[in-house]
Amino acid sequence: MSTPATPAAPPPAPKKDTLTIVFDGQPVEVPPGINLIEAAKLAGIEIPHFCFHPRLSVVGQCRMCLVEIEGIPKIQAACTTPLKDGLVVKTTTEKVRDSRAANMEFLLINHPLDCPICDQAGECKLQDNAFGYGEQRSRYDERKRQYAGYDRTMIGPHVVADMTRCIQCTRCIRFCSEIAGTGELTFLDRGGRTLVWTHDGKPLANDWSACAADVCPVGALTTREFRFRRRVWDLQKTPSVCPGCNVGCNISIEARDGVVYRFLPRLNPAVNDYWLCDYGRFRSESLNERDVSKVTVREGGSLQETIVPVAIERIAAEIRATIDSEGPSAMFFLGSAHLSNEENFLLRKLADHLGCGNLDVVVDRSRVRRMKSKTEWIEGDHYGANYAGAVDMGVRPRAGGHGLADVLEGRWTPRLVLAPDAGFAVAADDPDAVARLRQARFLAVAARTANALSRAADVVLPAASLAQKEGSFTNVQGRVQRFERAFLPPPPARPQWELLLMLAATLGWGDRNWTPADVRGLIRKEVEGYGGVTEEELAGGGLMKKGLFVSTGAV
Amino acid sequence: MTFEPVLTARVGRDRSQSIDTYVADGGYEALRKVLGGDWTPEAVTEEVKKSGLRGRGGAGFPTGVKWGFVPKDTKGKPVYLLCNADESEPGTFKDRLLMEKDPHQMIEGQIISAYALKSRTSYVYIRGEFFHGARVLDRAIAEAYEKGFLGENILGSGFSHDITVHRGAGAYICGEETGLIESLEGKRGQPRIKPPFPAVFGVFGAPTIVNNVETLCCVTHIMKRGAEWFAKIGRNEKNTGPKLYCLSGHVNRPGVYEAPMGLPMKDLLFGDAFGSGMKDGRKVKAVIPGGASAAMLTAEEIEDCPLDFDGLAAKKSMLGSAAIIVMNEDTCIVDAARNLAKFFSHESCGQCTPCREGTPWLHRVLDRIESGEGRAEDVDLLEKISNQMANGMTICVFADAAIAPVLSSIGKFRDEYRYHVENRRCLVGSRPSVEATA
Repeated sequence: MSTPATPAAPPPAPKKDTLTIVFDGQPVEVPPGINLIEAAKLAGIEIPHFCFHPRLSVVGQCRMCLVEIEGIPKIQAACTTPLKDGLVVKTTTEKVRDSRAANMEFLLINHPLDCPICDQAGECKLQDNAFGYGEQRSRYDERKRQYAGYDRTMIGPHVVADMTRCIQCTRCIRFCSEIAGTGELTFLDRGGRTLVWTHDGKPLANDWSACAADVCPVGALTTREFRFRRRVWDLQKTPSVCPGCNVGCNISIEARDGVVYRFLPRLNPAVNDYWLCDYGRFRSESLNERDVSKVTVREGGSLQETIVPVAIERIAAEIRATIDSEGPSAMFFLGSAHLSNEENFLLRKLADHLGCGNLDVVVDRSRVRRMKSKTEWIEGDHYGANYAGAVDMGVRPRAGGHGLADVLEGRWTPRLVLAPDAGFAVAADDPDAVARLRQARFLAVAARTANALSRAADVVLPAASLAQKEGSFTNVQGRVQRFERAFLPPPPARPQWELLLMLAATLGWGDRNWTPADVRGLIRKEVEGYGGVTEEELAGGGLMKKGLFVSTGAV
Repeated sequence: MTFEPVLTARVGRDRSQSIDTYVADGGYEALRKVLGGDWTPEAVTEEVKKSGLRGRGGAGFPTGVKWGFVPKDTKGKPVYLLCNADESEPGTFKDRLLMEKDPHQMIEGQIISAYALKSRTSYVYIRGEFFHGARVLDRAIAEAYEKGFLGENILGSGFSHDITVHRGAGAYICGEETGLIESLEGKRGQPRIKPPFPAVFGVFGAPTIVNNVETLCCVTHIMKRGAEWFAKIGRNEKNTGPKLYCLSGHVNRPGVYEAPMGLPMKDLLFGDAFGSGMKDGRKVKAVIPGGASAAMLTAEEIEDCPLDFDGLAAKKSMLGSAAIIVMNEDTCIVDAARNLAKFFSHESCGQCTPCREGTPWLHRVLDRIESGEGRAEDVDLLEKISNQMANGMTICVFADAAIAPVLSSIGKFRDEYRYHVENRRCLVGSRPSVEATA
């Protein structure tokens, strides 16, 4: 190849995987394919907005995200500006400041400003942006718009609409048409009389309807279940995993003073993204149920209240007696899809230690529940979040051992049954099934809510709820996700892992001072597929099986 | 040289809507010429470019240039031509006349334009209230199919085309081309974010060209008589062709008048062939030259004002849809602005915050002033609200249109506003109540 006579043009810049965007004079490298608002966030710059949502189509209609783009004379909506290399964005000019203040003034002229009695206060984008970018005074002193007949109205089984507070951002409309795919909501009328309502009065009743209230930036859509129960700034948020089904949606348990008030979805693009289904979300109230608050032991036909160590000692004594009289194979250990990996693992280790091969876990089938991750639909098909984990932990009959079907169908009667979760399945409240289990001479359970099995048991230990313990669940994808403790269980209730550790230590295995993290250390060593991931990665909803890792962020 | 009407030549003729009289008068000759001769689609586009034809819908964008925006490679997607017959700018009634009186003139232009765009299907989006016009068009299109001017293999040329008439549901904003597209797709009529522009991503996601009724009628005549003939009509090479003017208000003979582009405003108002002077000999106070969204002009400003795109742009107003609304000295300018603000408040689609909230606010403040409840700061307030609604604050230019009558009336008649606020009554006449005109 000959050298050209003219000086060679500078070599083309090497192809980059990122785009350079200049924000207020500061160049920042951002990945392609994101929105300018998200790119600004990466640069640490907040562009206020209402209608933009990372998973919904861009409509550019709230006009709050206006910025100046070099080379374009008119002010531009950031959300609708395509990202391109070398884009120069100004977010602090007077024009930008004025346009934000103008939009805030327009948005507030017809807004009720009844924050003290609005349930959204504290997590309201309008409130936040008014403080951040609005003027203190309004020049509007006409009568404010009212939507008579469209206030404080249930538009579905869960969502309450207050159209007077609506800022017409259409996030809820877009959620229903683009994510749920059901399209119940629409704009009615036009101009200053525009309102969001349901099509032809049909209810907003899709499986994810409360997400419409989640995406609502103001108090126009709220949920019947949480409305007016607590001011949001009083609530403590704890990262957890939904107990509803085996999809394992990441949630935030919002609680105060030992009471769970609501679940909110916690961002995890690989599982539930920004969403949560209504079934799972409104399981939150079930965490507050407690029928079993005393340790009871049956003595000569009557129930006696006692303390945890005594009850544990009693179970241990019965186990020893069973082994002495009929051998370890006369015992039956029943795991649960509601128990954590740690708890199911401890149950299996206890059985192994005692030389018993009779273990089992069953699960109740449910209708298919669908959840949209960032990229795909995930389907859950049974109740309980951790059937896969229980099976992984080895809570299944060993070779030659018996399972639950053998007991329920009368092929085998154990002498002793240990069920750390009395609510393991609907069978636990079925009189016939319980009668079969009750044929054992000794029946010990841990329980939070009463059912036929707990009422029939010889020893009942009060158990912790999901909010009262930590651990991990394995979902339908094989994704292991950690949940944290929101608050302590009320004494004498204890987490099942703690009860199992006490029992195991009494019987000569393990250390009763171990924590769930220590148990996870054992799981990592002993359970196939659970080896790869560190405790740090697990924290906050990470994942250890298959070495995948998912970071989580704020909702 | 006297001007022979072109677009309205057949208006008033007996059975002017029928295809027989149209063909007898030389109709569909242009189509025969285009399809039967050596005209390639590109050559038609070139001819329209040469004619200097600018869109008659309001923006005045050169039609041929617009057609050129359709990508060469449409990636297998069809190209759609939409005829914008949603004539809803207040004061405008020219397209209605063209459609109701001479529908074939438009249909012929539409088929020729579709040929230039290689479009298989086109739509007429007609204003919902034009029930009669839609019926006339439907009948005319059926006739055109019968005679082989529409359908498969038109006149044996191999070119096929179908036209469907779609009636709107009564929204001003559906005259905005992307609002029209959304409405035609069966959605709520609200403008889209641009880019992408319709020429690339329009109706059903396919390249789309939207042209006004009068524009398509002009295409018929350009192809019949040639671009040069067309370009010679008009004030200068940038403002060519015959033009329909919709004259309304306080003149003796309101109506639709055809004249060469660039007719002096004074001629239109006072010429014997046109408005024939002010009613009852009153004086002109203000003129809205291009429909509700054009800035008002004062009596002095119309002295030397050619009615064309550039002539009015020079006066910081616009030709728009050429709806000239004349107001005499007895008109309360605040009331006029209030009336227009009410219209825009009613017609805002409601998607963008500044327009949804700003248009009713403007109306309320103007209402307040007009009914004698105005305050000293209200006039400044109107200007401030207006200035924070437009220039990029919204997706489409509706808000820019809505503030034009407010800002121009304040700018040119500030004293009258002030008088209203200070004396709690009109400077002209005495109309304390707004209800009489509401």
